[in-house]
Amino acid sequence: MFVVAMVLAGMVWSRLMYWQVAEHGRLSLAAQQQFRDFEKLPAIRGAVFDRNLTQLVVNTTVYSAFVSPDQITQGRRDTVASALASVLGVDKGSVMTTLSSNVKFAYIARRFAKAKADQLRALKLPGVGLQEEMQRSYLPGAEAGTTLASDLLGFVNWNGDGQSGLEMKYQKLLAGTPGYISSYRDLANNEIVLGTHTNVNPVNGSDLVLTLDANIQFAAEQALAAGIKTDNAESGSVLIMDPSTGGIVAWADYPSYNANDFNHTDPALFKDNVVSYVYEPGSVMKVVTLSGAINAGVIAPDTVINDPGVLSVGGYRIYDWDRRNHGNVDYTYVLAHSLNVGAMKAMLAEGHDAFYKNLQAFGLTQPSGIDVAGETFVPLPSASQMGDSQYATTSFGQGIDVNMVQMLAAVNVVANGGKYAPPHVVDRVGTQINPLLLQPQRQVISPDTAAKMTAMMEQVVQNGSGSLARVPGFQKDQTGKTGSSQIPVNGQYTQDVWTSYVGFLPAQHPRFTMLVVVRKPHYPGSDRDWTLNDGYLTAAPIWKTIAQNIVVNWHITPDPS
Amino acid sequence: MARSAGWGVANQQIDEANVLTSTRILTRRRLGPNAAAHASAPPRRRRRTRGFVQVASAVAQERLRVSVFGHAYLGVGAVVICLLFYLAIAAQITQSSYDISRLQQKQSQLLAEQDQLRYQEVTLHAPAQVQQQAAQSGMQRVVPSSYVAGQEVAVDLGAPVGASPADSAPLWQRAVAAFFNAVAGTREVMAATRK
Repeated sequence: MFVVAMVLAGMVWSRLMYWQVAEHGRLSLAAQQQFRDFEKLPAIRGAVFDRNLTQLVVNTTVYSAFVSPDQITQGRRDTVASALASVLGVDKGSVMTTLSSNVKFAYIARRFAKAKADQLRALKLPGVGLQEEMQRSYLPGAEAGTTLASDLLGFVNWNGDGQSGLEMKYQKLLAGTPGYISSYRDLANNEIVLGTHTNVNPVNGSDLVLTLDANIQFAAEQALAAGIKTDNAESGSVLIMDPSTGGIVAWADYPSYNANDFNHTDPALFKDNVVSYVYEPGSVMKVVTLSGAINAGVIAPDTVINDPGVLSVGGYRIYDWDRRNHGNVDYTYVLAHSLNVGAMKAMLAEGHDAFYKNLQAFGLTQPSGIDVAGETFVPLPSASQMGDSQYATTSFGQGIDVNMVQMLAAVNVVANGGKYAPPHVVDRVGTQINPLLLQPQRQVISPDTAAKMTAMMEQVVQNGSGSLARVPGFQKDQTGKTGSSQIPVNGQYTQDVWTSYVGFLPAQHPRFTMLVVVRKPHYPGSDRDWTLNDGYLTAAPIWKTIAQNIVVNWHITPDPS
Repeated sequence: MARSAGWGVANQQIDEANVLTSTRILTRRRLGPNAAAHASAPPRRRRRTRGFVQVASAVAQERLRVSVFGHAYLGVGAVVICLLFYLAIAAQITQSSYDISRLQQKQSQLLAEQDQLRYQEVTLHAPAQVQQQAAQSGMQRVVPSSYVAGQEVAVDLGAPVGASPADSAPLWQRAVAAFFNAVAGTREVMAATRK
C-alpha cells in the first residue's frame, strides 16, 4: 500500500516537475503573451527637403478597412457588403464571400484616403474596422503619372522600408527608432492601470536637406521628356551638378514612375538609369584624355598633329567618326570636331601607364561613392591587362563602362579648377552638414590645365559639334562636348547608340555642370543618315533647354568679356 | 508631584540667586545621587485618556440609546455608502477613460487631416502645380535672348582720394561753426569738415 502511494505521489511530483521546471520557460512566455500588452509606438519618418527647403516628401495617413465576419450576423451581411462596395469601390461579391467565410479577420481594402475612411466611419457598420497606416507622399512630376525626382528619392514600401534611391540609402536615419508601451491587461483585455508600465518613446527619423533644386529638377524632367519623344529614344537621363561642391542639382530619368503608386508600377521602371546603368561615354571621354595629356605636358591646345582619319593600333584600324582625312590640325580642333585619331595620339603621347593613372585620378576606375542606393560599376581591367586596342578605344570613350555620376564628376574637374568634387545628394542630415563638404578636394589637374581645357571646350560650342547647345547670351561663355558611342550586344557593336552632351556655364565661373544621356535615339531621318542620331542633335538641344531654365531661375549672367 | 514640590521648596530655601540656574546644571543635579534612584524605579504606567471617538460614540450611544440592530444598520449603511462611493468613482474613471479614448481617436483624425492639408499645401507649391496654374492664367516664361554688356563706370574708384577741396565759406562763418562745434561737440559735423 505504501509502495503504491509512493508510486502515485512520484507520478504526481514528476508531472509537477515537468510543468514547473522543464516547461517553465514556454509557459511563462505564453502567460506573458496572454496578459502582457505590447504596443508599438511608430517613429515618424524624416522629411526630405530640397536646397530651398521645399518639402519633397510628406508623411500622410492612409486607412485600411478590415472585417471580422464572426461579428456580423447573417442578416446584415448584405447591407455591410453593399456599403463597403459603394464606399471603397470593391467588388460586392468578393466581400460577401469573405463575410461568409470562417476567417476571423480579413482586409477589404488597403491604403485609401481619409475621405473614404470618414464615409465608412459615419456608416458605423458592425464588424468593420479601420486601421491607420503611414504613407510617404511625393510631389507630382513633370509628366502625368510620375512623381518629382522619383528615381532619386526612391519609395518606401508598406512595411516602412526604403526600396530604392535615397529612401533606401538613408533608411536608418530617416526611419528613426520606434518606441513601445508595455503594460498588463486583464481577461477582458482591459489595461491594468496599477500594473507595471514600460514606456519607451520613439526617436523620430532625421530630416534630409538635399542639394537638389526642385524647380530645376522639374525643368529637367520636362525638357528630358520632350527631348526623348523628339528623338524617338528608348530612354534618357539628365544629371546636373554644382561644380564647386559636387552637390547634385537635378537627377532626372525618362521614363519615370509614380512613387505614390509603386505597387502598380512596372518593376523595370524602378531601375535608376543615372546610377545603375553603365554605358560607354563616347567622345565625352576626350575631355579626360586631353586634359591628362595637357597636364602631363605632352600636348598643348595648339599642338598640331596630322590626322589622316584612321590609325592602326594593336592590329585594328580605328577611324574618325566621319572617316575623313583632316590633315594637320591642332588639339583645339580635335576636341571641337571630336576626332578619334587625335585622342588616340594624345593617349599614345602620354603613355599607357600615365593614361591609366589619369583615368584613376578622374575617378573612372572606381565607383563614385555617391550617397544614392544602387550604384553600378564595372571595373576597368588592370593597366597590364589592357591591350593596345583597348587603350586606344578608351581614349575616345569606347571599351570603357561608366555610370553617369562617374562621368559627370570627371568632367566637372575641369569646371572646378582641376579639383575633384565628390558627388553627393544630401547636404544636411538634420542639422549636421555632410562631412564630405568639410574635406579638402583632391587636385587632379592643375588650374592652368583646367583653364586650357575650358577654352578648348568653349570652342566646341562656338566652332564645333556643340552649336545646338548655345544658350542665347552665353554663346561665348559656355563649354560643351558631345558624345556618341555604339551599343555592344553580345560583343558586337550595333547601330544603336548612346549619345550624350556635357558642358558647364558660365565658362569662367561655372554655376552648373550638366550631362545629358540619350539611349537608343531614332531621330527622324536617321534610318537614311545615322549621324542624325549623334549627340549634337539628340542630347545637345535638351541640354540647351534645361540650361536656359537654370539661367532664368538662378539669374545667371554672362561673364563680362 | 510631591517630589517636584519638595525640589521647589528646597530651591526657595537655598538661595534666590539659584533661580537663574541653567538647565544644564539642573540636569546634572537630576543625574545626581537622587537621579540613580529615580532611574532604577519601575516605569510608571501612563494613565490612558479616552479618545475623542470613544467619548463621542459613548455620548452618542448614551443619548441615542442605539440598540444592537441599530449598530448593524449603521454598519450596513456605512458599507452601502462606501459601495456607492466606489461605484461613483469607478463610473467616473470609466467615463474618463471613454473620454480619453474618444479624444485620442479625435486627435489621430485631426493629425491625419493635418498631414493631408500639409500635403495639399506642399503640392500647391510644387513646380508642376505652379506651372499648371501659370499656364491657366495665360502666363509665359520669357527666356532672355540677349544680355546687354555692362558699361564702364564713369567714376574711377581705384584712383587716389587726393586733397579735400578748399572750403569756400567765409571766414566768419567758419569761425562761428567752429565755435558751435566746439561747444556742442557734434562729431558728425566735425567728421564732415575733416573730410
